[in-house]
Amino acid sequence: MILQAGASSCFSSILPGPISCSNRQSSSLRTSNFISIRDRNGRTGEFHDLHKELVPYAEAWKWQKDIVAEKKTLIETNQDCPDTLIVLQHHPVYTLGMGSSLEHLNFDMDDAPFDVYRTERGGEVTYHGPGQLVMYPIVNLRNHKMDIHWYLRALEEVIIRVLSSAFSIEASRVDGLTGVWFGDQKLAAIGVKVSRWIAYHGVALNVTTDLAPFESIVPCGIKDRRVGSIKSLLGLDDDTQLIETAYKSLIKEFSEVFDLGIDQIAYSSILDKD
Amino acid sequence: MASRLLWASRAASLLRISVPYRGFASVIKDLKYAESHEWVKVDGNSATVGITDHAQDHLGDVVYVELPELGTEVTQGNSFGAVESVKATSDINSPVSGKVVEVNEELNGSPALVNTSPYKEGWIIKVELKDAGELNNLKDADAYSKFCDEEDAKH
Repeated sequence: MILQAGASSCFSSILPGPISCSNRQSSSLRTSNFISIRDRNGRTGEFHDLHKELVPYAEAWKWQKDIVAEKKTLIETNQDCPDTLIVLQHHPVYTLGMGSSLEHLNFDMDDAPFDVYRTERGGEVTYHGPGQLVMYPIVNLRNHKMDIHWYLRALEEVIIRVLSSAFSIEASRVDGLTGVWFGDQKLAAIGVKVSRWIAYHGVALNVTTDLAPFESIVPCGIKDRRVGSIKSLLGLDDDTQLIETAYKSLIKEFSEVFDLGIDQIAYSSILDKD
Repeated sequence: MASRLLWASRAASLLRISVPYRGFASVIKDLKYAESHEWVKVDGNSATVGITDHAQDHLGDVVYVELPELGTEVTQGNSFGAVESVKATSDINSPVSGKVVEVNEELNGSPALVNTSPYKEGWIIKVELKDAGELNNLKDADAYSKFCDEEDAKH
């Protein structure tokens, strides 16, 4: 189901665990599947479509930080600083937020089933892996609202709309528990970092994710709730189309909620890619 | 000829999920303020730094504060740490340049002090000032209050 990426042999669906890649490979991340997005003031941004690829966490993390540094320079030199969106999947990995407690790991760090990264984002521990669509919007909040609460609610809105329009799942927010829920199951986790009003890290939506790795952690530090996926909720055996359907809906809803236009030619080529 | 760009509908108006804001944040005279919402209290060559009432109000409950190491050099306008609330971490920028000589360890166990007492018990770092002249780049209490009102009016 996960196709081998043509752009780089760095990405693979077969090998578990970390895959070491030379630094040279990160430049290929940038040139692959680049689509331009335009906001209502005519600023062009970048949309990187890696939704069919498993990207090593370290690579994606460094890439985000590079993009944030570029954007900061644009702002410091008073230039327009448009938004960037990256959509991808990760190899199995656990990530911690800046202040995450290790108590929420049900394993010793020396004996971890997968790589564990402590990052600068907010939120507690979570799992990323194949079948989960990860969205990294690198957004200049000056282009939208300089309000972190608004931004989190907007990210939740994107996912809620995807679940409703593409899957007829009526998901919701829970006051005080950032993320997107269906009953007591979390379908999408959110954790961001804001630096000089540039937001990065983002959202992880469980589409066909194997949920077993969540049992080795207390997901997001919340003990009395569960994690779900679109596949588990719909009870489907054949999940081959779910990622595609979720991805297409994600792009559409993200562009609506954040008022960004995606070049029509490029968007229709996404729709045709079946 | 149809436009080549597919413009998204103005959904932003649907998202007027505004966060309740009580509209009045306190400032303390005699402190200096940065536009990134940090305050500094100068005492001779020593400066105490924290975030303002306006900032903590907008952040919501602070659940974690990332403190710098003692001895770290800080530069006016640059990040020296971060606060976390609502699953988002935000940089804290230093309003002055100098060396970190003390950090508020209380924040490790009680990060909410930043919310309950942003100008007193919620102080974050103490800095040995490098250049007192830099204080001229900061705002006084009235100018900062006005700046906050203008910033909020834009939302």
